[in-house]
Amino acid sequence: MSMHTKGDGPGLTRRQFLKTSAYGGAMLLTLNLPGKAQANQSPGAASQWCVYVSIRPDNSVLMASPVMDMGQHMKTAGPMLLAEEMDLDWSLIEFADSCPAYFKLNADGQAEYAYSDMSTGGSHALRRNWDYMRQAGATVRRMLVEEAAARWQVSADDLRTANSYVYHPDGQRQFSYGELAEQAAARQVKPQAVQLKHNDAFGIIGTARTTVDIRQIVTGKPLFGMDAEYPGMLHAVIARSPFIDGQLLSQEAQAAKQVAGVRQLVNVPRRTEASYNGTTKQLMAPGVAVIADSLWAAMQGKQALRARWQAGAEGKSQDSEAQLAEFHRLVSDADYAGQSGISHKVRLAEGDAKTALEGAATVLDATYEVPLFAHLCMEPFNCIADVRSDSATIVAGHQFPDKVVNDVAKATGLPPLNIEVISHRMGGGFGRRWEVDYVLEAVYLSQQVGKPVKVTWQREDELEQDCFAPAMVMRVRAGMDKSNKVIAWHHRQAQTRGGARDRCFPFKLVPNYLSEHLDYPSQIATGAWRSPGHLQWAFAAESMLDELAHQAKQDPLAFRLKLMQPHKAYPHEGFGGELIDSGRMAKCYEKAAEMADWQRPRQKGIGLGIAGHFTFGSYAAFVLEVAIGAENRLHIRQAWGAIDCGLAVNPNHIENQMQGGFIDGLNAALFNKADVQGGEMVTKNFHQIHFMRLSEAPPDVQVSIIHSQAMPTGVGEPPIGPAAAALANAIFAASGQRIRRLPIADAIRI
Amino acid sequence: MTIQFTLNQQTVEVAERDKDMPLLWYLREQQGLKGTKFGCGIGQCGACTVHYNGMAMRSCSITLGQAQGADILTIEGLAPSEDKLHPVQEAWMEIDVPQCGYCQAGQIMAAAAMFKQHPNPSEAQIEQAMTNICRCGTYVRIRKAIALAADKLAKEVS
Ligand code: FES
Ligand code: FES
Repeated sequence: MSMHTKGDGPGLTRRQFLKTSAYGGAMLLTLNLPGKAQANQSPGAASQWCVYVSIRPDNSVLMASPVMDMGQHMKTAGPMLLAEEMDLDWSLIEFADSCPAYFKLNADGQAEYAYSDMSTGGSHALRRNWDYMRQAGATVRRMLVEEAAARWQVSADDLRTANSYVYHPDGQRQFSYGELAEQAAARQVKPQAVQLKHNDAFGIIGTARTTVDIRQIVTGKPLFGMDAEYPGMLHAVIARSPFIDGQLLSQEAQAAKQVAGVRQLVNVPRRTEASYNGTTKQLMAPGVAVIADSLWAAMQGKQALRARWQAGAEGKSQDSEAQLAEFHRLVSDADYAGQSGISHKVRLAEGDAKTALEGAATVLDATYEVPLFAHLCMEPFNCIADVRSDSATIVAGHQFPDKVVNDVAKATGLPPLNIEVISHRMGGGFGRRWEVDYVLEAVYLSQQVGKPVKVTWQREDELEQDCFAPAMVMRVRAGMDKSNKVIAWHHRQAQTRGGARDRCFPFKLVPNYLSEHLDYPSQIATGAWRSPGHLQWAFAAESMLDELAHQAKQDPLAFRLKLMQPHKAYPHEGFGGELIDSGRMAKCYEKAAEMADWQRPRQKGIGLGIAGHFTFGSYAAFVLEVAIGAENRLHIRQAWGAIDCGLAVNPNHIENQMQGGFIDGLNAALFNKADVQGGEMVTKNFHQIHFMRLSEAPPDVQVSIIHSQAMPTGVGEPPIGPAAAALANAIFAASGQRIRRLPIADAIRI
Repeated sequence: MTIQFTLNQQTVEVAERDKDMPLLWYLREQQGLKGTKFGCGIGQCGACTVHYNGMAMRSCSITLGQAQGADILTIEGLAPSEDKLHPVQEAWMEIDVPQCGYCQAGQIMAAAAMFKQHPNPSEAQIEQAMTNICRCGTYVRIRKAIALAADKLAKEVS
C-alpha cells in the first residue's frame, strides 16, 4: 500500500481549533482536527486529536507516549511516529515518565479514549496509533511551517523542515521550532495542507532507536507501579483463597493485629460476573486484607494471620492433570465425548476431510498436549486507589486504562470521567494485565478504609490467582496422497476453556480441512496469555508438518515451502489481519533457514528444527539448533529468526522482541506448567515453576527483518508462536525423539 | 543496641528490633531506594540483587541482622557519579538490553559483582554468575552487554 496519504478530513466546513496552555513554561499543544480514523463517524461530529508534546523556547521538547510500556517498546515507537512527521531532532526530546490518560464518554455512557488509543494488547498498539500519531505530527509541523512563512512573507510550501528547524529557501535563514512554537500554536491550518511523508523520506521511522527509559532503567529509577507512592496511603496485603470458590476456615486475627504497624483487617468479598461463555468469572478473590503502615508490616501481618481455606463446592473437583486426561479421552473417542454431553463443535470445514483421509495414501495421527501456562509477570501486581466521595485516582500499570476506568466506575458508581488513571511502566503484562482484580481490590479497600490504599501482591498471589493459558490436547490427523501432497487435515481440540487458532496455516493450504473443538466445562480460570493459543496451535500444526515431511522422506524446509505454493494472499477472518499470505510466510522460512545454513550437515547429536507461524498480521519463522548429549541432555545452541511485520518502525526493538519472545516461547515449551489439585492452585512460586535462566537460553538469536512497505503489524506476540514446535522438531532432528507433550523438561534434561 | 552497616558509602543505623526485616524491604520502604526490586521473596529470581561485601546477594534473603557490619551497595550507588555510569550500566545502555526493565537492576548488580571476581569472565563463569530470571527473556542481549562491559573494563584498567 502507499503510505502517501493526505490529511484531508471532511473539509473546511468543520472548524479546526487549537488550544494552548502553559505547561512548565513550555507549551502544551492540544489540537482538534478531523482525521482519517474518524472518517466513518457521523459527519459533523467533532473529532479530537491530541499531541502529547510540549515545545520549549530552547527548542527542546517534552513528549509523552500515547501507550505505556510493558516491555513491548511502544513508549519508544509511539513517539517515533510523532517525531518523524514533526521532523524533530530526536536528541532534543525528553520523554515523560507517565502516559497521560484522557477520556470522554461515548453514547453508552462508557469512557473511551479522548485522544489516541492507549491500550496495549493483541500486538495492535502500533497499528492503532499509526495514523493518529502521524497525522498529529504532520499537523504540528505544518503549523510551525506556516508561522515561519508568515514571518518571512514567503509561501509555506517553499519551506523545508529538518531536525526541529524550519529553513528558508534562501538557505541562509532558519527558525528553531522553539522560536516559532508559541505563535504557531495559535494558527489554524487547512487539513488539505497537512501532508504525511513518503516512506522514502523517513528519517526516524525505520531506524534503530534505543528505549527512551534506558537511563532510568539502568540506574534503578522508580518507574514502576511497584515503586509508586501516594500521599497518605496505607498498604494492604491480602490473604486470599488459593482455591477456586474457596471459603475461609480459620484465621488468627488477634495475632495479625498485634504486628507492629498493622492497623486493621478488612474482609474482601468474592465478586464474580457472568462470563461471555456462560461460566462465572471471578473479579475479586475472597480474602482478608491486612492494612498497615508499611508493606513489610502488612506482609508480616498476613503471615501472622495464618488464614486457612477450604475448597468451595464448585471448585473442589477441579484438577488440572485429571482434566488433561479427560481431554485425551475426548479427542480420541467420539462416542465417549458424546456420552459426556460434550459435542464436537465444527469450527471450520473446507472440502471433506473425513473422506479425504479415508482415501489418503498416508495418514498420520498424533496427539499433542499442552498444560496450563502461568503468566509470571516479573513485577507482582499492585495498585493504589484513592476513592473519594465524588472522584477517584487509580495508580497502576495496566494494559487497558479504559477498562480500568469503566470497571472502577461500575464498582463505585462514580461517573467515569471523575476517575483519573495514572499509568506506570509495567514489569511485564503478557495479557494478565487485562484483568482488573488487583485494581478492584485497591478500590474496595480504599472505600472501606476511607484512605488511599496500595495493594501489593506477592509472587504466591500472582500464581494462585492467575488466569492461565488454557491447557489443551490437540489431535491432528493429516493425510497425504501418493505424491506426498497434503490433502487432508483434521484438527480436534479439547481444552480448559477458550478459543482455538485454527485460521492459521495450514488452513487454506490443504483442500480438505476440518477443525473441531470440544469445550470442556472447566472451572479453572483462564485468560489471555501472550499470543493466546498460538504457541499451542503451532506446536501441533508445525510438529505435524515435520512428522509428515519425515514420513515422506523430504527435507522439512522444502516440504513447507512446497506447501506454501502457490504464493497467495488468502482472506483471513480472524483477529489480527485481513489477509494471510503464504508467500510472506515462505520468505520467513527461507530467510531463517538461510541464516542457519540449513543445508550444512551437522555432527551426530546436533539437529535443526524449523517452525513458522502467522500471528496478528505478522509472519515469523525460526530455526533452532540443539544438541542432545549423554543422558539425554538438551543443549540449545543457537536460533535464527525471520519476521515480516510490514514496515519495520524500530528494527532495534523488533530484534529485541524476536529474541525475548522466542525465549519466552522456549521457556513455555520447556518449563511452564501450573497445577491445580482439588481446586487449589498448588504451584506457588519460582521454586516450583522454573523459569529459563541465561545458561539454558540460546546464547544467540540472530534476527532478520524482511523488508516490506506494508502497514506495520505487531511484534510483541508473533515470535512466540513457532517456539515449541521449533524446539520439538530440533530435538527430533538431533535424536529421533518426537516430543508431543509439554513441558519438554519432563522428558528431556536441560 | 543498633545494627550498623554501610549503605552506598554511608553509615546507617537501624534498631535491633528490626533485625529480622529483610534488607530488601528496608531499602525500599525505609530508604526509598526503589531500584532494588521485589520479584519472589524467596531468593529465586534475583530481582532484589545487591552487593554484600562486594558479592552479589539476594536482599530478600538477607536480614538486617545479617547486614550488621557489612558493606551494602545498591543499584543507586553503583555509578561513580551522576554523569559517569558504571561500565556495566553503560554497556547495558549501548546494547539496549531491557524489555520491561523490571529485572534489569538486579541483572546489572549481578554482572557488576561478577566482574569484580572475574574481570574477563569465561562462558562458564558468566553462566554461573548470571542466575537472575529475566521474564522477558533478554538473555541474548545480557550476554552481549557483558562482553561489551568486559571490553570497557579492560580499557579502564589499561
Ligand atoms: S525477590 Fe529476592 S530473589 Fe526474588
Ligand atoms: S526485562 Fe522484563 S523481566 Fe527482564
